[in-house]
Amino acid sequence: MVEAAVKEKKYPGNFRRPYIKAGRHYLEGSEACVEGALVAGLKVYAGYPITPASEIMEHASRRLPQFGGRFIQMEDEISAACALIGASWAGAKAMTATSSPGFSLMQEAISFSIMTETPLLIVDVQRPGPGQGYITTSQEDVMQARYGHHGEGPIIALAPSSVQDMFELTIEAFNLSEKWRTPVLLMVEETVAHLREQLIVPELDTIELIKRKKPQDLNISPETYLPYGHDIVPPMANFGEGYNINHVGLVHSEDGNVSNYSLKVHRENIDRLHQKIEGNVNEIARIESQFLDDCDHVLICYGSVARTGLEAVKEVREVHGIKIGFIRLVTLWPFPEEKLRSLISKVKNVFVPEMNLGMIKHPITEALRDKCDRVISIPEIGALHSPEKLIDQIIKGSTC
Amino acid sequence: MLKHPMLKYIREEGPAGKRLPFILCPGCGAGQVLNYTLHAVDEIINQPGVKKEDFVFISGIGCSSRLTSHYLNFDSGWTLHGRALPVATGVLLANPKLKVIVFTGDGDAAAIGGNHFIHAFRRNINITVICVNNGLYGMTGGQVAPTTQPFTITPTTPYGNVEEAFDLCKLATVAGASYVSRWTTAHPFQTIKAIKKGIANKGASFIEILSQCPVHEHKTPVEMINALKGMTVSIDKSMNSNKIPVGEFHFAPRPEWTERYEAIIEKCNERIS
Repeated sequence: MVEAAVKEKKYPGNFRRPYIKAGRHYLEGSEACVEGALVAGLKVYAGYPITPASEIMEHASRRLPQFGGRFIQMEDEISAACALIGASWAGAKAMTATSSPGFSLMQEAISFSIMTETPLLIVDVQRPGPGQGYITTSQEDVMQARYGHHGEGPIIALAPSSVQDMFELTIEAFNLSEKWRTPVLLMVEETVAHLREQLIVPELDTIELIKRKKPQDLNISPETYLPYGHDIVPPMANFGEGYNINHVGLVHSEDGNVSNYSLKVHRENIDRLHQKIEGNVNEIARIESQFLDDCDHVLICYGSVARTGLEAVKEVREVHGIKIGFIRLVTLWPFPEEKLRSLISKVKNVFVPEMNLGMIKHPITEALRDKCDRVISIPEIGALHSPEKLIDQIIKGSTC
Repeated sequence: MLKHPMLKYIREEGPAGKRLPFILCPGCGAGQVLNYTLHAVDEIINQPGVKKEDFVFISGIGCSSRLTSHYLNFDSGWTLHGRALPVATGVLLANPKLKVIVFTGDGDAAAIGGNHFIHAFRRNINITVICVNNGLYGMTGGQVAPTTQPFTITPTTPYGNVEEAFDLCKLATVAGASYVSRWTTAHPFQTIKAIKKGIANKGASFIEILSQCPVHEHKTPVEMINALKGMTVSIDKSMNSNKIPVGEFHFAPRPEWTERYEAIIEKCNERIS
């Protein structure tokens, strides 16, 4: 069991099988995240301590060498994110975890890894801001995830709401980053990272793992290899394989050349990066829903708010007889506008509870502009919404 | 046609070619540094058991970083301003067998990348750092750098620089580099030898190369190279001289980061099996 490993002080590698076993576990979200990453094939973790994300880092430092991987504590969040880029270029699956102030420091590296199409995973265990804010829970970085980095760089961001999600979505995040050759963000809240609950691990050989496409797989020789060409998701050669790959963050043509700049080359470069993610939003993004068949209203939420949200929806339906549906966004970015529109024909009110002053409510409002009468934001700062507050707001909103 | 022997390592032609001419200004010292580095690398590649694909070049942003950018026909990464060392560290975390060479400049290494500079040397991770020091920010217009001498007039110190200059070799030595040397673009053979020794050293090596920027200094390259010869003195004759010492400052091999970590991996796996 992983619990035993956590308690042991020196080299806690003394269990027979290094992978987490299939079956029931009682784990913290942070630990489930690392265990999921190890199943996905994590080989490099570079990080910098910050509350409330340090547990992920500490668990990775104990577990990674048991898999022949390497863990390093860097001098800051900037270097942690940059080390992931180098590790990914050399062929490793790499991740880090940070919290909101550290996430701000990583933005330049995120933008750079979008441009160089570098697969990596950044976990942001969100805390409230601005400034040092506080170390409690928040969803205040969901816009930073999409728009924090400079330039027109599309991003994939997932929002787990349980310990089970921390395990499964970490694996999914690695799969998405390898498949689409792009950085992926896991937008966790402190409440989920520090939550301790049941995790059911399936038989490991039933878990689907995706590896990046390499030029060797497509019989592309080093002489004809184009590091940013061949396909909308270009095959990626690792360092040390003789492909002489040049990673460049400047606008480039398919062969990585930056000296033939023209507006055409520039626009083709940005357009492909954008199309790669936004053009495949229906394949990338996931939504979960319940009670949508007969609903007059709908509640849309994500992350740990989805737990309170679902309870509130059930109670409002059963006790108060209000026909309200439930939608949880598993993927925040790329924003699943089409999918969301297809789920809803016409409703009166859309309730959006978030642990911020209303952020994802904006793309929701845009997506459902002609499908609802009103979008009602239910903000909360620094803590989870209480079910009473949600129920109260839903009743008020749907009766007036 | 007679070709420069090092052109074989440059993307001159082919499907991923046509990268020349270099962006560097005529008379720039960075081209000399690239020439010296490729000579050193070429000598190492010609040794038995060494392959060209073992080499990885990483750079940040600035004139010196353009040496890696997209001209070299090696595995390479042209990264963020000041961040070449953490990216290079990441490369070694994933594959410690690679020989990683970082091209950097004085602004890239000592200003924006100063924190990474000291920590990479403290870790003694197996990187060879080649720093082209021209004492100013060339790419952005010749502004003051942490290596600019006091009282110098630059576009951002129009009344003279009030700050003292960094001695990068001293900084690298106290941070923990296991090999440190300084030469100038006017010392080709010494520089090639130093770079070879730096690459052979299993640990963090620092080679500073004082270089000329004829454009921003408003002098001819010949004047500047002669000045570099005149302003420097060999380290063993530098005691009572106010000239800049050049030579090998420090060579003290000590355990390298990935080697130490390998022992942890082995110990963990012993327990498992």
